[in-house]
Amino acid sequence: MSTNSHTPQRSPHADNADWQSAKDPVTNADLLDHEYDGIREYDNPTPGWWHAIFLASVMFAILYFAFFHLSPVSWSIQDRWQAQKVAETKKIFGKIGDLAADEPTIIKMSNDAPMMEVAKGMFVGNCASCHANDGGGINGVNLTDDHYKNVKKLIDVYTVITDGANNGAMPPWNARLSQNERVLLAAYVMNLRGTKPAAPRAPEGEVLPPFGPQVSKK
Amino acid sequence: MSTAFSADARNERVGSSHEPANSGPLERFSYDDAIVRKFLVAMLVWGIVGMLVGLIIALQLALPYLPEVKGAKPLSFLYETSWLNFGRLRPLHTNAVIFAFAGNAIFAGIYYSTQRLCKARMWSDKLSSLHFWGWQAIIVSAAITLPLGITQGKEYAELEWPIDLAIAVVWLGFFGTNFLMTLVKRRERHMYVALWFYIASLVTVTILHVFNNLSLPYALAQVLSGNTPTKEGFVKSWPVYAGVQDAFMQWWYGHNAVAFFLTTPFLGLMYYFLPKAAERPVYSYRLSIVHFWSLVFMYIWAGPHHLHYTSLPAWASTLGMLFSVMLWMPSWGGMINGLLTLRGAWQKVSQDPVLKFFVIAITFYGMATFEGPMLSIKSVNSLSHYTDWTIAHVHSGALGWNGFLAFGMMYWLLPRLFQTPLWSKKLMAAHFWIGTIGMVMYVIPMYAAGITQGLMWRAFDESGSLQYNDFVQTVNAIVPFYWLRALGGTLYLAGAVFGAVNMFMTWKARPAAYEVPVHSAPALTPFYSDPPRPASRLGEGNLAIGHDADVFVQGWWHRVWERKPIKFTLLTLLAVLLASLFEMIPTFLIKSNVPTIASVKPYTPLELHGRDVYIAEGCYNCHSQMIRPIWAETKRYGEYSKGGESVYDHPFQWGSRRIGPDLAREGGIKSHDWHVRHFENPRQLIAQSIMPSYKHLLESKIDFKDTETRVRAMAMLGVPYGEMVKEGVASAYAQAQAEQIAADLVQQGGYEDMQDKKVIALTAYIQRLGIDISKPDDWDPYEKFRDRATKILAARNGEADKVASSTTKVNSGGAK
Repeated sequence: MSTNSHTPQRSPHADNADWQSAKDPVTNADLLDHEYDGIREYDNPTPGWWHAIFLASVMFAILYFAFFHLSPVSWSIQDRWQAQKVAETKKIFGKIGDLAADEPTIIKMSNDAPMMEVAKGMFVGNCASCHANDGGGINGVNLTDDHYKNVKKLIDVYTVITDGANNGAMPPWNARLSQNERVLLAAYVMNLRGTKPAAPRAPEGEVLPPFGPQVSKK
Repeated sequence: MSTAFSADARNERVGSSHEPANSGPLERFSYDDAIVRKFLVAMLVWGIVGMLVGLIIALQLALPYLPEVKGAKPLSFLYETSWLNFGRLRPLHTNAVIFAFAGNAIFAGIYYSTQRLCKARMWSDKLSSLHFWGWQAIIVSAAITLPLGITQGKEYAELEWPIDLAIAVVWLGFFGTNFLMTLVKRRERHMYVALWFYIASLVTVTILHVFNNLSLPYALAQVLSGNTPTKEGFVKSWPVYAGVQDAFMQWWYGHNAVAFFLTTPFLGLMYYFLPKAAERPVYSYRLSIVHFWSLVFMYIWAGPHHLHYTSLPAWASTLGMLFSVMLWMPSWGGMINGLLTLRGAWQKVSQDPVLKFFVIAITFYGMATFEGPMLSIKSVNSLSHYTDWTIAHVHSGALGWNGFLAFGMMYWLLPRLFQTPLWSKKLMAAHFWIGTIGMVMYVIPMYAAGITQGLMWRAFDESGSLQYNDFVQTVNAIVPFYWLRALGGTLYLAGAVFGAVNMFMTWKARPAAYEVPVHSAPALTPFYSDPPRPASRLGEGNLAIGHDADVFVQGWWHRVWERKPIKFTLLTLLAVLLASLFEMIPTFLIKSNVPTIASVKPYTPLELHGRDVYIAEGCYNCHSQMIRPIWAETKRYGEYSKGGESVYDHPFQWGSRRIGPDLAREGGIKSHDWHVRHFENPRQLIAQSIMPSYKHLLESKIDFKDTETRVRAMAMLGVPYGEMVKEGVASAYAQAQAEQIAADLVQQGGYEDMQDKKVIALTAYIQRLGIDISKPDDWDPYEKFRDRATKILAARNGEADKVASSTTKVNSGGAK
């Protein structure tokens, strides 16, 4: 484009053709009479699409604010969370309802394969950092062997989960997990007994007889 | 380019073509290019240092278990040395690339262009020099203090109070005064758009820096509580804001540091160096005006988009999002003006690597400023927040926009500053290509990593359980991307090293003495009449208001502002302040924004001490403490965080990234033993953990006396500590709690004699996180060790009495 067809009007740059274009090569806009250290400016208008999107974004902002903060029909993030909590809790626990914290319920749940899948997720999320994903124990006890430290009978598994044990070595979960979750975890822990972990921690505590009838089924 | 280094001589012929006849006497002057050379060298040196630190920490994430790999033992120091830990080096990396690399680039460009745009030497060579050396001293002090764990614990505002004071003096006192006085003493009637952007940067960065860093220095707390300040007093402070308000201030600052340190000054540089290098007129003067003012006014509102779904009030979060969306076009104004200025010069771009650097820079600017508004939309943000998406976004801005603009500018300046042709054009081209490839290799894996991790965090299986319950799974999934990122970063760094070689060789070929051209221009006189107000372009039959509007949009009034630097500065200040106050005043004054929770109590003295350890180790760089009301999140971490829970947090520790899991509800779910073992070496418990080891915390000791002043400082900031501020009480309670935890620890697993180690304080703090809301309103955080503390106090008093009485006896004996 650096032809000399545009006659230089005001440019001082006689040695450089590009600087001479008194008109924008595409839009034909005028060169303004501004000049700063050789820098010139065209009098091009702001692009139409720029205005259009800018205006659209401003309109969007006004409508969004009006809807979410001034109108009575909108919802908050907390509302949505609450609704989802209700729906998801129903999805997981709807079939079983509120579980009683007793041995028959624990045994019943330990045989409920879909619920034990749910419990496995909870175990990995909450318990595995100390007891390992497969229950073999890390700095928490091995849950797969026949030795028990703070448990004499099956319901004690639930109690230890709920209230903790050994001066906080096992923390209490009553404030963090619902009763349903703790019952399911007790059932899951019961099922862990007799499984073969990859790297078992040495046995601790006393040997207990098998918990209830389901052990023989394995 | 060929005759480029004699450009100044050519420019000398450029007279001010529109100065009226009554202009002042012709004055002769020369430009100070020595200062530009200094800043340019500093830019490259610090750039390489900052990128190298970035590479080290990138490798730490990619290779977390190196020390446990056979034969790699000699390298284990990289992982186990306290001052080389990720948490301490990451702030060093961010501070170095932002304030040292980009900062020195800005100063080099501003000092070069301002003098030429004003037809005046910088107002004071002495201030220029003080600015340069002062800024480098600040950088060196940052490089020393950050690895030592001396930090305020707020991202990009980590530097402690004495350095903050120095920054204020150097930035406003030295640089600001020098720059503004140069504007006042200029010989060019009107200010070019580059200068508008410099003004906006100067003014706004000052405000941001001062207000975000308002804090209570430890030394002041010591003096106020009747002690003489110790060494510690000069390296520690606590912000006056807490929790929600501190978060708001921090991200008002953090976001606008990006705006007014990494965007506006670089736009100014683009407006000067791009048309100079392309030798083309700027596309549109009108667009400059419109996008400058809209950018400056709107940017400042956008900060709260860093706090979506947190306990920040929803209206503030919405404002942050909406202003970010509206900011899209104002930001793109700069891109349009940049790219369209190259219209008719594209054949030059294909030949000149300088222009290539600029084109890539502007393209990345355009991408980042589209992505920014997109990420600020709440639902998009719910996926991207806390992930590497943010890291990808900032690096496309930093490597692409800031880095490449700085490098392009550097290569354009080198022959002019060293007055000799560039040593190697080929090497410059190689830098361009290796840098571009490196950048792409950096950002694409990080986008992939961010999206992968975000999706894994929220994935559910059919039963409604989280699919990836084990957090470390979501970390291991992205480690391969960390490798690619490290490789991309290496290439980018290699490019910078090419630049350094080129700079050094060009410098070596410099003339024995630099030629200093003398320019002349008439002084400005107060007698200036603006061009007449334009007439309305509308036809007859329009209302007067229509004609007025048409006259207004022709922008003649702006031309008047452009010749009044002080007025222009004040107007910019007004735009920025108005927007800030509009958001701040309600956040600070309306109580309902942060509902208090009765069961939330202040930290115990030991926990407070542990919190300072947490801050010093930079834990917030990898761990958030803010659970969002999102189902996948509450499922993983527990009840979502409430604003009332962090009212005593000076500073807030919500974090912005989850390289590790959220810790907002970490208290009470693991044993003390687990935590101590985990700090000693996380891989003892989680084989695939990428967390560094904090062995040194098992060795260094708590200064219990020091704990007392920390409690008093918090009390001065309004935390209700009651009796705890009395002489000796806080230290007794801290000691009692430490002994209690140490005793528990022995019972739990075997670490002995830990009662005076820092790890105990940190564990105490971690065990407190997020437990208050499930307690009864009148619970007592001191319950477990109150008796022990009372005994310690009694024993101390008893000893004091004994000492006192024995002294009396001796004295009375002596008198006999």
